[in-house]
Amino acid sequence: MAPIESYHVQALAAVLFTVGIAVVVTRRNIFLLLMGVELMLNAVNLSFIGFARTLPGDASLTGNLVPLFTIAIAAAEACVGLAMVICITRRKDTVDADAFSEMKE
Amino acid sequence: MFESLNHSLGTIYFGAFAIIAVACAIGLLVVRHPLSGAINLVGVMLALSGIYALLDSPFLAVLQILVYAGAIMMLVVFVIMVLNQAKDHRVPGLDWFSVITLAVPVVIGFMLVSTVRMNLPASPDAQRATVEVLAPRLFDVTAAGPGYYLLFELIGILLLVAVVAAVLLAKRSLDTSASEPDSADSAREAQEVQKESHGAH
Repeated sequence: MAPIESYHVQALAAVLFTVGIAVVVTRRNIFLLLMGVELMLNAVNLSFIGFARTLPGDASLTGNLVPLFTIAIAAAEACVGLAMVICITRRKDTVDADAFSEMKE
Repeated sequence: MFESLNHSLGTIYFGAFAIIAVACAIGLLVVRHPLSGAINLVGVMLALSGIYALLDSPFLAVLQILVYAGAIMMLVVFVIMVLNQAKDHRVPGLDWFSVITLAVPVVIGFMLVSTVRMNLPASPDAQRATVEVLAPRLFDVTAAGPGYYLLFELIGILLLVAVVAAVLLAKRSLDTSASEPDSADSAREAQEVQKESHGAH
């Protein structure tokens, strides 16, 4: 019997995901928004790895392979996201997310 | 689990890493400068890497440090420093409206925690996900296999497209090459060079 129970891992993942949502919802700095999204992706990876241990045999390997792809997609997302940040910051000379509201008007 | 660690020691390590991760995540929520936020996020990722190692995933623990803490956060810190006007004091921090919107994540968090309260027992034959067992599974090209190698190829294409998109987005205009900046920039640079040479003499 493993010493770390599965709900401890899932509770930690839930807390990290919640803090990630809180960062995205409350902060206005574009960089902090991006970092909140990264934090949520990390929480989901942790959840996958926590559940992988409760599955038998080959299925437990699947739980370890999916985070591999999530990490690669997070790298692509960070790459494009930061390029967009550079692009729009050059246009408005600010990193305040509230300044970019042309779609609203 | 590490065979050398006894069970209570593993739990203690898990608790310590969990406390570090949550503390750094809350630090990310309240910092003023995005650079401090980046350092906090690196702290979260290092703690999570330790937890992955405790949860029988040594390969993902290494990958977490290499890709997340190494590559992605280096990119974020680099862009923050390139756009060095990105100071949080030009952006309001946490104000009252932000505190009110905190209700949304708090509700979602309660829903999540109440959902995950069920306890699944650890499987007796769950494999320790080392490279030796992960690699044959990932690159199993037989027709009866899981087909992860197709996903792997797609991820390669996706990363290539992302790099091309990033270069196109971040360039000032498409007809100037990266080696010759556009006229306004070169004029400014010439002025700066003049200033520097004056300072030297």
